[in-house]
Formats: sequence, structure tokens, C-alpha cells
Amino acid sequence: MTTTGWRQRAQRARISTGCAIAGLFIAGCTAPGASTGGDDDGATSLTVWVDSTRTPGVERYLEEHPDVDIRMTTIPSDPGYVLTQISLANQADDGWPDVVFLNTPEDVASLAAPPFDFAAPLDELVDDEITDGFVEGSLSGCTFGDTLYCLRNDIGQTVLWYNQALMQEFGYEVPQTWSDYGALGERVAAEHPGYIIGGLNGKWGAGVYFESSGCPTRDVIDLTTVRIDTSDPGCVRAAELLDPLLANGSVSALSPSDPAFAQIGQENRILMLPAASWYGEHRFKAAYESPAGEMAAAPMPTWDGEDVPYSGSVGGGAFVVSRHAEDMDAAVDFATWMTTNVDHQSEQPTYPAFAEAAEAWGAARAADPFYAEDPFPVMKDQAPLIRDTFGWVRYANEWNNIFNETVVAAAESPEPLLEAVEEWGSRLTQAAEATDYEVAR
Amino acid sequence: MTDTETAGRRPARADRQGRRPASGAESTVEPPSKRRRRLAPYFFVAPYALFLVGFGIAPALYGLYTSLFTDSLGAGTEFAPLGNWGEVLTDYRLVDSARNVATYVALWLPSMLMLIFAIALVLHARPGRFAAAMRFVYYIPGAITGSAAALLWLFMVSPQVSPFSPLLDLLGVENATEAVSANTPLILALMGIAIHAGGWILIVYAALAALPRDVLEAAVIDGASSWQVAMRVKLPMVSRYAALILIATFAAGTQVFVEPTVLATGVPGQISSTWSINQLAYYYATQQGDFGKAAALSLALLLVGLVVALLVIYRTKFYRIDRGLS
Repeated sequence: MTTTGWRQRAQRARISTGCAIAGLFIAGCTAPGASTGGDDDGATSLTVWVDSTRTPGVERYLEEHPDVDIRMTTIPSDPGYVLTQISLANQADDGWPDVVFLNTPEDVASLAAPPFDFAAPLDELVDDEITDGFVEGSLSGCTFGDTLYCLRNDIGQTVLWYNQALMQEFGYEVPQTWSDYGALGERVAAEHPGYIIGGLNGKWGAGVYFESSGCPTRDVIDLTTVRIDTSDPGCVRAAELLDPLLANGSVSALSPSDPAFAQIGQENRILMLPAASWYGEHRFKAAYESPAGEMAAAPMPTWDGEDVPYSGSVGGGAFVVSRHAEDMDAAVDFATWMTTNVDHQSEQPTYPAFAEAAEAWGAARAADPFYAEDPFPVMKDQAPLIRDTFGWVRYANEWNNIFNETVVAAAESPEPLLEAVEEWGSRLTQAAEATDYEVAR
Repeated sequence: MTDTETAGRRPARADRQGRRPASGAESTVEPPSKRRRRLAPYFFVAPYALFLVGFGIAPALYGLYTSLFTDSLGAGTEFAPLGNWGEVLTDYRLVDSARNVATYVALWLPSMLMLIFAIALVLHARPGRFAAAMRFVYYIPGAITGSAAALLWLFMVSPQVSPFSPLLDLLGVENATEAVSANTPLILALMGIAIHAGGWILIVYAALAALPRDVLEAAVIDGASSWQVAMRVKLPMVSRYAALILIATFAAGTQVFVEPTVLATGVPGQISSTWSINQLAYYYATQQGDFGKAAALSLALLLVGLVVALLVIYRTKFYRIDRGLS
């Protein structure tokens, strides 16, 4: 197709972008003529929904694939948006996208199962050679039973972020084990009150401490079975570690998007923060305005009795292909390109799930003067170490909310945190059963 | 002022005359105009009736139909008249949502009602350019919606950046996380007042402006102070508007959706996405793809709203409002 043709498509893309913005609160806003199937000139036609971060990638795909006509709708990254739109499309029996990007990848657990029945199984459609190229374990969230339902765009493996300049100034060593971490928390509270070494709130806290510890709260067995057991030693040790640190204030219970938390960062009082790999770019650099040349990443501490520094996981997106796609091969090709194209992925803001792209991504950032030392080697080591007890479930939203209502709410009470963790577990069981899971212990 | 007053009185007179034929005084009216008068109300009501059927009654009936079928993973769609109702009423989230909404309505309704009448009476007692400007100002907060509102409210409840930080200090709120997780109903009640009060102030002010001037003048001549005129004369004459506000806002309050949704986008994860009953219904439909349950819960909410509206109407003899004012 000619450049003019591309321009037309780009204009159409802009129209649909505007439409998506205007239609934030209006259901069913799609690009004009967003039907699937062959175009007038015989070109392949695809309807894709992506967030604004992914739109340059789509434009690049179009440049490289002049034979494909793409109708792109820019969707907001609000949790629940995609499920809402697919639910309405199901009700109308029309209007599905061929490929959709999930900002909250947990949604694939709903999209793969009835009543949504939207996600296409991809095992037969994506070559093993390609799936093998993804970072080890990064596709496990997409896999239910033995069936693959999505391709991972980026991963949110956790690392131990720390302020190297402050740690040296205070004369502290970066902790290798969680026991060392707990002991350091006691020292920080006594010697430098007001400085923090971690945050408990929401998925950012639960995903770091409880998931790296292997506390089974969303351990997916298959699409209809999940294991929840908050009396597991993995839960107990995380609760016991956090109890004194919350009491002495070295671990904060504030939401990381709270302006009060940003203030701690801006006053340079974040000594350490175990958090997702994307925190460097998105939080420390942008929101917390950490001074250049001070932040660094260390491996996660190891839990007692183990020698592997397991990661938790927070965030990371995925691409899902529709069962309703008329040109399934074109849809799969698009999703594959978006997740595995090295040039495109190396320019993404977050850590690519495709291993070769991750290398290029890391190389492009090695010389960033914001960091005290290149954080990529640590991120790369942690990438395959996300605990496999952390699966994608239909109650992920409740998982986060109930954690705040029970565990975070109990952070300042004198009762042992473990009681709140048990309450979290029993309410999670209800949440899982309400979303058609059988709960195993 | 005189114009407003006359305009206000004219419909009341027309009403009285319009009703006379029905009560047996036909002989005084010309036959063609009689027919016109008989049909006129239907023409006035027709556009509303169309919308009521199209966007109110028909969807409710469709909702009733939808609520009769259950959807479950494995079993597929089944006809089970009470299945959804049973599951919805025993849902583990419903008790929390109902408690949240009840607290919200208890905080929001009385305080907003008092505020609306207080401000409308003050505006009416001191007419002029300032009052006209203020009427506009009160209306503004209701016009801010969507993501702008989410951001605005995040700032409002964050003591670090809020213009109301002294007030937040008084409440013992130190950060936004705490503000929204521990004081959700209070914050939402404040949001609700800011969003809804403006429109109602205008309506009550309009009702005050339509009061017969002779009555107010008589009160002043008899030596009543501004306070006494407001409390003893104006307020009783517009008190039935309280019933109108009560009916409309009770339904809006029990169906609260926008405020918690907007606030939750500002501080992600701190407010449950099923905080209110209406959010729970929305959650069933959009996040679980279960329209049957969503329909059942929405109808249950509709029933509550209807029962309360009927109670208020009969207790306050609401529809005698015209005769009461004339």
C-alpha cells in the first residue's frame, strides 16, 4: 500500500483515538466501520484495541506490513474497561476486537472462560520456537491447565530498589535475606526514623512480600480450580516479618500513588523499596523525583531455608486474540509481532517478556545517568524467578481490595497481622467461589 | 420581580380553572375549548410518557425477563425464576455494600437538605448581582465529571496539597489513603453535596421567587423580621419541595455510583469496586458477564426506591402541592 494509504489509516486511527477518548464513559465506542473481514482492495483487515503506550507500536507494525489494514481503537488503562466492553459486545453478539491489549492481564482468566468465552487458545497457532523465546515462566500466567490464552507483552518482576548514596551514608549493607531486611528495618526505625524500607499497600505490597514468599492466595491449578491457604508457612513468615516493621513505621501502609507517599520520595526518605522493575522509570524517576545517580537495584532477599531470591510480581500487560477473529492467522501474527519484535519492544517503557527483546531493552538503558549502577542485570536475573504460586484469577480485583480492607487496615493495630491475613484468606475464598472457582487448600 | 411573580401565579390559576369542569362546572365553558382542555394534558404528558416507556418501563421489564435466567460456568443458561435473586441476596458483598450505602445516605441526605434550604433562603433574602453570581457558582461543581473530577477529588482529600487541609487536620486525616479508606462515606457525602446541591438550590430558589409577594409584604408590615419571614412564612410555603428533593435524592443516594467510582480512580485500590449496591450490579454485568444477577439486583434497588417514593408521597400529601400554594 502507498504512503497515502498509510496516511489514511493513520487518520482513521486518530479518529478512533478521539472517539475512544470521547467515549471513555460511553459504552461501545469503536472505530468507524469496525467490522472484521476482507477489505475492498483485498487487504487483510484487523480491529485492535490498545492503550496509548502501545499505539506507536501499532503504527510501526503498519509501516512494516503494508498489506494489513488496521482499525485501531485506543482504550483507557482503567481496570475493568476491557471486560466491560467485551461483555457488551457479547451481549450485542457483535463488535469484538480481533486483538486486545490487557493492562490488567488478570482479565484473561475471565476472557478465557464462560460466560465471556473470548480468548482464543493459542497453542496450535503460535510456534513453540516463539513461545520458547519468552522469559522462563513469563507465559505461566497466560496458561490455564495446559492451554495458552495470551502472549505476554512485559513483566513486572520485583527487585529490591535501594538508594545507594543513603545506604552508604548511613553505613548499611543491602540485605541478602528477609531476616536481614527485618533487622535493618528495626535499625532504621531507631537510628533514622522517618525513612522507609518498604510499602505494604494493595497489590504493590501483597505482590512483593506475600507473593515472593509463596503465600498461596491465587495459585491457579486450572480455569476452575485455585488454591487458597493463608495458614501456609509462606503467609505466616511474611506476616511475622511485617508486623514489627509496620509498628515501627519503617514499612509504610500508604498507597504508592498517594501524594503523601510521593512526598516521602521527594524528601528522599525512601531508603529501600522492594517493588516492580518498572518502578525505576515510572515511580522513582517520574513521581518520587529521586536524585539522579543514587537509585540502584539489588536482588530480592531470600526467605529463610531457601537459596533462591524469588520475585513477586506487580503489573505487566498481555495481548489476547479473539475467538471471533475472521482472519485468525493475521490476528496471531499481529499479537506475536507486538510482543516479540525486538526493535519495537526495546523501545517500550517496561521490561519486555520476550528474552531477546529484553536484552536490547537493557542495552538501551545501560548508560542512563539516573541510576547509580545499571539495574538491568538484576532485573534479568529476577525475571525468571517470579513465584509460580502467583496466577491470574478472575477475582484479582477483590484480591487487591480485600487485602487493603483486612491486612492493610490492620497495619496499625496491635493485633498480630496474621489474624488479618487469615481474614484475607477466608474472604478470598468467598470471592473465588463467587467467580466460579473450586477452592483447594 | 413582579414579572416572575405574575408568571408564577398564572399557571396556578389556569390549573384551578382547568380542574373545574371535572368537578361539575361544565356549563361555563365553550365546547371546542373544552375538548382542547380535555386533550391538552395528554399532549403535555405524551413526550414524557414516551421516554418513560422507552427508557424506564421497557428496560425494567427486560431486566425482569433477564433476571429469570441464570448463567453459570459449566451449566450454561438455565431458566430459574428465583435463582439469581437468591444468589444476589446472599452474596457476601451485599451486606457491606448495603451498609456503605446506608451510612452514605444517612450522612448525605439530611445535611444536603438543610444546606439547600439554608442557601436558597439566604439567596432569596438578599437578591441582587451577588446572589445571581452565587447561584452560578453553586452549580459549577456538578458540571465537573469524569477523570477531571477524579483528579480534583484526589487533590481535595490529600492533606499535602488540599486547600482544605486545615479541615482534614481537624478530622485527623493525614494522607489520602487514610482519607478514602477510613472515611469513605463522609468523603463521598461531601462529593455528593458538591455535585447535587447546586441544581436543587436553583429549584428551591425558583420556588421562593414564585411565592406571592403580597403575603411576604403583609408579614413585613405586621413587623416580622427577615428571620421570621424566612422561617415562618417562606419555609412552610416551599416545604413540599423537601418531599420532591427527598424522593429524587433518596433514589439517587441508594443508587450511588459515580462518586465512589470517580474517587476510586483517583486513589487506585483503596475503594472496593463493589462499594455500593449499584456498583455491585454493574460489576456482575461487566466484570462477571452475568446480566441475570445484575438485573435482579438493579430491580431490587428500583423496588426500594419506589417504596420510599410512595411513602413520602402519601405521608406528605405531595400532589396537593398546587392547591397548597394557591
